[in-house]
Amino acid sequence: MCQLAAQEIPDALTLRVSLTYETSPSLQEATTVNYEWEFDVVWENFPFLLSGVGTTVGLAILSMLAGGVLGMAVALARISRLRILRVPAYCYTELFRTTPIVVQIMWVYWVLPILAGVTLSGFQTGLVALSLNVAAFMAEIYRAGIMSINRGQTEASLALGMTSSQMMRRIIIPQAITRMIPPMGTMWVSLFKDTAIISAIGVTELMFQAQYLAVDTYRPVEIFTITAVIYFVITYPQSLGVNFLYKKFRTQE
Amino acid sequence: MEETTTATTTPIVRVEALNKKFGELHVLKDVDMQVAPGEVVAIIGPSGSGKSTFLRCLNRLEEPTSGQIYVDQEEITGDAVDLPKVRRNIGMIFQHLNLFPHMTAIDNVMEGPRTVLKSSRSKAREAAVQLLDKVGLLDKIDVKPAQLSGGQQQRVAIARALAMQPKVMLFDEVTSALDPELVGEVLSTMKQLADDGMTMLVVTHEMSFGEKVADRVVMFDEGIIIEEGAPEQIFSRASNERTQRFLSQLHWGGT
Repeated sequence: MCQLAAQEIPDALTLRVSLTYETSPSLQEATTVNYEWEFDVVWENFPFLLSGVGTTVGLAILSMLAGGVLGMAVALARISRLRILRVPAYCYTELFRTTPIVVQIMWVYWVLPILAGVTLSGFQTGLVALSLNVAAFMAEIYRAGIMSINRGQTEASLALGMTSSQMMRRIIIPQAITRMIPPMGTMWVSLFKDTAIISAIGVTELMFQAQYLAVDTYRPVEIFTITAVIYFVITYPQSLGVNFLYKKFRTQE
Repeated sequence: MEETTTATTTPIVRVEALNKKFGELHVLKDVDMQVAPGEVVAIIGPSGSGKSTFLRCLNRLEEPTSGQIYVDQEEITGDAVDLPKVRRNIGMIFQHLNLFPHMTAIDNVMEGPRTVLKSSRSKAREAAVQLLDKVGLLDKIDVKPAQLSGGQQQRVAIARALAMQPKVMLFDEVTSALDPELVGEVLSTMKQLADDGMTMLVVTHEMSFGEKVADRVVMFDEGIIIEEGAPEQIFSRASNERTQRFLSQLHWGGT
């Protein structure tokens, strides 16, 4: 992660990271045999480290909400009868599903301000990029859910005199939602972890704070170990929750 | 074709020169039909004869390639037609069981009036209870479709269609997906409906229904009506050789 950041971000902090790691005394002499773990430095800076968690969680939630709403619009466009809606929606989902998320973030950070003439803060950049990415994946989840509903349901709804939107709202989406929820859970867990990439553009979320501390304390080994533990502690219950959703909604069908 | 007694009344369904093509496949060829109010028409014929496609054109679930259809004097073909509005007047029951699985029996029956007609909850519920009573499922009001037998599901589907107070009901092989022992209950519900004066077009393989309930039997083959007439005439004295062969393959009729 650090290597990646060091190569891609020409800012003061990461330059410092790449330089200082090489000269850090504890690492220079370290081997698996003699490395002395020193976790005290982590505990001393624990509040600082945890201060990034709020941003991580906030970014994940906001991206999920924004991406969820945008994704629904994209999904409806993709299943539209109108080619003029279908084609752009298809291009959008495929573009965002086939490029690395870090590239998307860099693109929004560097290119979008020039194209759109707006200046975004790091957090806003992260929010926009992640939301756009989530929307592409959510659109596919929605679409797959909607398409999985038996054609007979459509015909029964239309035969009753429903309009397409009544049919979607009352018949198709309520049924599709139980099939969408488990993959949405998977999407969420993956998004939560993906927020770490936002550290690359200097947003002070968990991963960024960890990198900052690692440089500041010369203790990357301990800092990144504990950071991994923090991600695990937060993500693992969510992952269990997703497994539960899969079981619950599978047995319902 | 023999003149039927209904020719003098104003037809509630009138089909003129209906054509349907699926690409190169010409499924319906200049089909004409008139149905009088209260008439029960059984539509028979081998599979692939176009009878289901014909039925599905009548509420435009299938888009006719050309021709006109009038329901209650109003043309329902053409681009200017408000399809949802047209379909309110035409109930349809399908071969595949397609109640809304996320709703109870009564919610299924109330769905049309509530969502489409914007009826009040109490009014829709009252009507739905009566309809479920009529199809003999008063004790299944709060049961989800998955807990109902196929026959019961089709009876709820009939109640669901009736809740819209349609002028015409279309039945598309509604007993074909059912276990044999469940067919009778659905047919007797349909007979009851016919006795109440509902106009019904029934695509069916149940020749007993055609014989006992229908006012008229229409035989489709290769996209045209090859023969039609009163049930006793078709079933015992079919004049068309293909009708005779079709009926004898079903072990029905005198041949």
